[in-house]
Amino acid sequence: MAKVDENKEGVKGMANPTRYGIERFAYLLMRLTGLGLLAYFVAHIYETSNILRGKVGWEEFLQITQTPEGHIILAIVIGMSVFHTVNGVRVMLGHGGIGVGKPTRPDYPYIPQSQNVRHKIAIYSAIVLSALAMMYGLAVMFGE
Amino acid sequence: MRESLIMKIHYGTALASVALVAVHILFRLTQGFAESLQYESVIANYKFLPYAGMLEIILILLSIHGFNGLRVILLELKQGTGYEKSVTYGCIAAMALTILYGSRTIFMTSFGMV
Repeated sequence: MAKVDENKEGVKGMANPTRYGIERFAYLLMRLTGLGLLAYFVAHIYETSNILRGKVGWEEFLQITQTPEGHIILAIVIGMSVFHTVNGVRVMLGHGGIGVGKPTRPDYPYIPQSQNVRHKIAIYSAIVLSALAMMYGLAVMFGE
Repeated sequence: MRESLIMKIHYGTALASVALVAVHILFRLTQGFAESLQYESVIANYKFLPYAGMLEIILILLSIHGFNGLRVILLELKQGTGYEKSVTYGCIAAMALTILYGSRTIFMTSFGMV
């Protein structure tokens, strides 16, 4: 009989935000924003190293990054950093035992104490705050 | 190093980075975003040693936090002694290279070698 592992969905299962609630979605977003921010960080270090090429080299590079597309990418970076920060503080507090509730007898429907309304509010707040920060960033960059 | 200590470093570098990156962004906003990116303004920022020192600290903190985060993500995806060692040493090497390359920019600009 062929071995069937029905529960193994791999990355597709991990990326599905509908089945496991907002906590799983936050877990996925935390990793995606982390990778995005690391890529931006490395690119930013390369970008700023152009200052060593003198005024002409710096201005040449600014012409590439200071464009509407560059501003949109920067706005996405702002959104990613705000979400990663706010959700990161939530995760840190959770690891420290803050806001995870008290242990109780497991009763149907077996909702974990840690996945309570406080953490859900924190996740939704992180999403709203990152959207607001992105809008502010766009206003600053396109307002000039 | 124990994983619990690594996570404490991860969280410590995160909190410190948030505070210092906020100062870094405020520098851009107080000057006006476009003006702050002008060549003379950027050079003046680097030559202001407390600010250059802060950039160096941000570089170290974010490199540690970022590459340790990458290590954690890669270890969540796959496990195994050889794989885990390669990921750990690969991330340490990438972190060191990033710090060296960024420090080169900060030191050369701060000490007027441009």
